[in-house]
Amino acid sequence: MAKVLEGPGMGLMKKWGIHVPNYAVVTSAEELAKLGQANDWFKQSKLVAKAHEALGSRFKLGLVKIDLDLKGAEAAAKDMIGRQVGSITVSQVIVSEMIPHKEEYYCAVKSTREGSEILVANCGGIEVESNWERVKRLTLEIGQAPTGEDLEKLVKEAGFTGALVKKMAEFAGKMFTCFDNEDAQYLEVNPVVLRESDGELVALDAVTLLDGDAKFRHPDWNFPFAAEFGRAYTKHELEVMAVDSKIKGSVKFIEIPGGDTAMLPAGGGASVYYSDAVVARGGKLANYAEYSGDPPDWAVEVLTEKVCSLPGIKNIIVGGAIANFTDVKKTFGGIINGFRKAKSDGKLKGVKIWVRRGGPREKEGLDAMRALKDEGFDIHVFDRNTPLTDIVDKAVQSKG
Amino acid sequence: MSILANKDTRVVIQGGAAGVNAARRMAEFCYLIKKPLNVEAFVYPPDAGKSNEIPYGSGLIAIPVYKTIAEATKHHPQINTSLVYIGADRAMKGGMEALDDAHIKVVSMITEGVPEKDAKLLGAHARKLGKVFNGPSSIGIISAGACRLGVIGGAFDNLVLSKLYREGSFGVITKSGGLSNEIIWICSQFADGITTAIGIGGDAYPGTDYVSYLEMFERDPQTKAVVIVGEMGGDLEERAAEWYGAKKRRIKLIAVVSGFCQESLPKGMKFGHAGAKEGMKGEGSARSKSDALKKAGALVPATFGALGPAIKETYQELLKSGQVKEVIEPATLPKLPKSVEEAMKADEVMVAPLIRTTISDDRGDEPCYDGYPASELINKGYEIPHVIGLLWDKRLISKQEAEIVKRIMMLSADHGPCVSGAYATILAACAGIGLSQSVAAGMIMIGPRFGGAVTDAGRYFKHAVDNKMSVDEFLAYMKKNVGPVPGIGHRVKSLRNPDKRVKELVGYVKSLNIKTPCLDFALEVEKVTSAKKDNLILNVDGTMAAVLVDIGFPIDSLNGFFILSRTIGLIGHWVDQKRQDSRLIRLFDYLVNYAAPKRREVPPLK
Repeated sequence: MAKVLEGPGMGLMKKWGIHVPNYAVVTSAEELAKLGQANDWFKQSKLVAKAHEALGSRFKLGLVKIDLDLKGAEAAAKDMIGRQVGSITVSQVIVSEMIPHKEEYYCAVKSTREGSEILVANCGGIEVESNWERVKRLTLEIGQAPTGEDLEKLVKEAGFTGALVKKMAEFAGKMFTCFDNEDAQYLEVNPVVLRESDGELVALDAVTLLDGDAKFRHPDWNFPFAAEFGRAYTKHELEVMAVDSKIKGSVKFIEIPGGDTAMLPAGGGASVYYSDAVVARGGKLANYAEYSGDPPDWAVEVLTEKVCSLPGIKNIIVGGAIANFTDVKKTFGGIINGFRKAKSDGKLKGVKIWVRRGGPREKEGLDAMRALKDEGFDIHVFDRNTPLTDIVDKAVQSKG
Repeated sequence: MSILANKDTRVVIQGGAAGVNAARRMAEFCYLIKKPLNVEAFVYPPDAGKSNEIPYGSGLIAIPVYKTIAEATKHHPQINTSLVYIGADRAMKGGMEALDDAHIKVVSMITEGVPEKDAKLLGAHARKLGKVFNGPSSIGIISAGACRLGVIGGAFDNLVLSKLYREGSFGVITKSGGLSNEIIWICSQFADGITTAIGIGGDAYPGTDYVSYLEMFERDPQTKAVVIVGEMGGDLEERAAEWYGAKKRRIKLIAVVSGFCQESLPKGMKFGHAGAKEGMKGEGSARSKSDALKKAGALVPATFGALGPAIKETYQELLKSGQVKEVIEPATLPKLPKSVEEAMKADEVMVAPLIRTTISDDRGDEPCYDGYPASELINKGYEIPHVIGLLWDKRLISKQEAEIVKRIMMLSADHGPCVSGAYATILAACAGIGLSQSVAAGMIMIGPRFGGAVTDAGRYFKHAVDNKMSVDEFLAYMKKNVGPVPGIGHRVKSLRNPDKRVKELVGYVKSLNIKTPCLDFALEVEKVTSAKKDNLILNVDGTMAAVLVDIGFPIDSLNGFFILSRTIGLIGHWVDQKRQDSRLIRLFDYLVNYAAPKRREVPPLK
């Protein structure tokens, strides 16, 4: 899945005929001032300014300001841009017009196993989260589009009446069209509001998750994807992603501050079991990582260096199941080079390394790992006869 | 018995290199179980009409490549299964093509990164047709002792270690390709092994679910228990639990689910908004899945590590109840023939090499000339003459010698368009012949009458010096045994019209403080011969020869100096003609003396 920030998300909705407030994404107060001169709406309505970053709880951080005039929006932009929040610097602000409204509704389209589901509620904002049973659903098979009647039935079920029935049904229909045509996995507007000036339904914000795998058929997806877990990617994460995009096979890396058990396992499935085992044994994960699909040794070496650079780690888990075709000797070669580099950089002091793996050239690979003992590494090597996650038990239990 | 893939499965593989690799793995398995290769055809339009060679045992099988599925099944009507290895952007089209072919009942897609919508459309289409669409991102399907589809099962050694040559009692369904081998291995160590193992793919919405396979396993009497390896997200595990709990099932169910770590990850590390919101009821989490499975009566070990013992426990119960019997392993199994490379690595064979080299080695990261890496030579200031010294004489020549070689090369790089070699190259260029052929045409002119005297001149001057001959003795010897002295004489140059190149080279070499016995001797010979006739001077070939012998180059290499340097000129002439877009040459009549008989009547045939 690929999360898209509000600006490009609203852009996609607008493309499929959904009303959205006027908005602009700017990188400086000066840019905003210039746009403000050229576009009347900045002066005619009250404005909202929000930090345009993949950040959770922006309200609490003071990164959302409402009820502003243009000057106020410029001041807010100036104040927000350049602010450091954790690992990320705010570099963009989205300024949009405030839409005077009384009623708030909810509409979403989500991917399901059989196709998709359109969700509608006649309440919106935080109210919908505490009244989830008021959300009504229309289930659609893949390849099937909702009829006007289906949609009207849905919104009536959700409690819409009168002229709003047709309007909300149309809104939901456009949401589905956008979802279907843009290879979305999740689209949510909360709240949908009834604009007092013209009685149109308007999307006040947009949560947009697109299917990154479908990028090849969307040449107009010219925006970057954002991190999906409430914070921006770190420098190390971005570097590993850059390597990942260049290679056959894959390398993945997510930092978790404060942990002491570093993960360097192979295979998407096994890596989660290794992480589970660490948590189950009371260890603290320092990261999530994996390599798979027989990546080149240099890519595994980069990943290893990042793992060795994690602060405060005591154990490194080089785990893996019995590979189908990943060359154990070759990928371990990359890990060994990474370990050697880290050691010569003064890292890995007091760090224990735990290895378990099988697959093509397993004997050669494991022997090469074992030989690291002679170079002064605190390394413990196990083969396929040791159950998969037992090295985690040994690591978490080991003292000193 | 087995499900999905059995002894009657015949396969078409859609795709290029990755598909060929899979076919090789599949051939290894077929060899292990002593069955013919089950891959009948490939579909890969760029290679249509060709065939792919698949090693089977110590032999090779040629499998034809077709443009379309229809062509493949027309020629191989037994095909009933397709494996899709086509790139993500074309995978749906390929998958649909296979599903729409009446012969094909199972399509397993190995391709990763297929858009979710495409996978769903394929899944729905297959269900409509009553077929199976497995994947995408599937590692494959393997039925012990019967059939392998894809690379699942890993390398040959692992197939043997995991006892995949014969049937066991456990079915396996995994989302993770990487873990499939692990589970198969565990089933073979803690129990009697597997019936069929299926990789359903790790995508959010794979084409099939656990339930469809559980039903197939339930109907397969050989399968006594099924191991499910699940993950957080989606609801496939909950559905499997629901199916298992719905009524009394013949098969036992063992399941592990990953993703418990999510509970202790920092807040906000949850992946995806939909899951988070919908997850308010706890659906999709590892815990909810595990709980559902437990509640339905499945055996759910607390950790992955406890899976082996859980399988063992189940197997013991099956043994006790008489549902399964202890397996007797076959006494011998086929061994995969080693490649020559592997056998040599293991010190098992000795191969008499076909050729031998003593000058260069390019097996490392760069070529070494007589042991010296090329880049190091460059970085330490060595030049082309040193490379010539290393490759032609296996020695690192001195700076002074290199300078002599360099001058020889420069002086003999080109002698104008009229000499045989250049003329031949130009003629070829004008006829539209390519660079290498035109240069070769010039090069084959090098012989006794054109530049090819260097080696012979060197040989005889050296012979004279080695045998301490006087000039008279030498000339008498040559007259009696050889003929004209190679290296002496010029067509246009003479005493009165001396060759500047010879003067230059002799002057330079004599200015150095080195011994030049051959050159000195050649100059003495010139004195005598040029006195007889003034164009019998020491020519460039003879001078080069004498100097190169004096600085120690082997006799047999000497013509090489001429060939190498003159190639520079020949290339120049070809490029020159090309640049001018030269017209085709035809020799003018007046340049030919037609000495043939005059035109006459042809006599009747007798």
